Amino acid sequence: MAVDMNAPVLVVDDYQTMVRIIRNLLKQLGFENVDEAADGREALEKMKKTKYGLVISDWNMEPMTGYELLREVRADEILKPTPFIMVTAESKTENVIAAKKAGVNNYIVKPFNAQTLKAKIASVLGDF
Amino acid sequence: MPSPEVATKVRDAITALKGADLKDPRLGEVLTLASQMSEAMQMFFSSIDRSLFDEMRYISSYIQRTRLEISNLRPNDLSEDRIPGAGAELHAVVQHTAEATNLIMAVAEDVMAADTSDPAAYQAFVSEKMMEIFEACTFQDITGQRIKKVVDTLTHIEQRLERFASVMGVEDAELEETAEDKRKRENLLNGPALNGPEVAQDDIDALFGTEGASMDQSDLDALFD
Repeated sequence: MAVDMNAPVLVVDDYQTMVRIIRNLLKQLGFENVDEAADGREALEKMKKTKYGLVISDWNMEPMTGYELLREVRADEILKPTPFIMVTAESKTENVIAAKKAGVNNYIVKPFNAQTLKAKIASVLGDF
Repeated sequence: MPSPEVATKVRDAITALKGADLKDPRLGEVLTLASQMSEAMQMFFSSIDRSLFDEMRYISSYIQRTRLEISNLRPNDLSEDRIPGAGAELHAVVQHTAEATNLIMAVAEDVMAADTSDPAAYQAFVSEKMMEIFEACTFQDITGQRIKKVVDTLTHIEQRLERFASVMGVEDAELEETAEDKRKRENLLNGPALNGPEVAQDDIDALFGTEGASMDQSDLDALFD
């Protein structure tokens, strides 16, 4: 099935520079409809109003972490199917395992490059 | 026993002795015994006085030494000057880094959005923008110097605390977990690893299966072994 490049993508990160970087990379990849949130709580509120085709989230944020957001999303019957990629500097095995167990679709360790982001999005959404 | 009460009892004892039959040999023995006991008690209390004095002198000396060591830590210098100074330097580093990054990204966005229909004009525009990127990169030298000052401060604090702990024989106490500690533990907030990621992206890819394969619970459990 072809990837819907117009489906909105939600970038969740409390570091505005990182949001800008990911937004630019997504634009280069062909995703024009990019929304943003500064933490898990704001992201969850947005997700309850808009159906996103993909969520790309940082882990370490206040007051709600990306890990908490992931668990909230997977526990919600409506939000559950939303593809979710974690992009984070948290690189301990326990973090990767916990995210995997919580239902994350892929995991990118910062710092990352455009090729890695493209490959992980493709592994989750399909080739585009 | 209060002093007036003791004096009364002694007075009563003397009166009783005066009225007693001093020729009674048993009374003489009792008095001799009382005298010996009195001397023994005096020696006992003297020794207590001395040991108490020695103990108080040791405590006083320990307090003086502690005050001296705390003074050597220069806590006011640390709390009023060095630590706020280090905080300000780090704040400046964050600010300069963010400014430089935003400037570089803005330039990159300008270049990507530039009109390419006139190659000569486009080349001139790109060259001008590249110079802006070079200029923005000069932040690295300044931030390097700022971070060195912070590292020097931390080293200074570390050395003084080490000396203090060593001289005073201080051992780390068990600390109760704070709400913040609990949140960090439950949310696995470990922060970036020193010297790069602890788990490489390739290993993560293997865990997730880049070709779409996924690991089952037993595969995941095996990673904990």
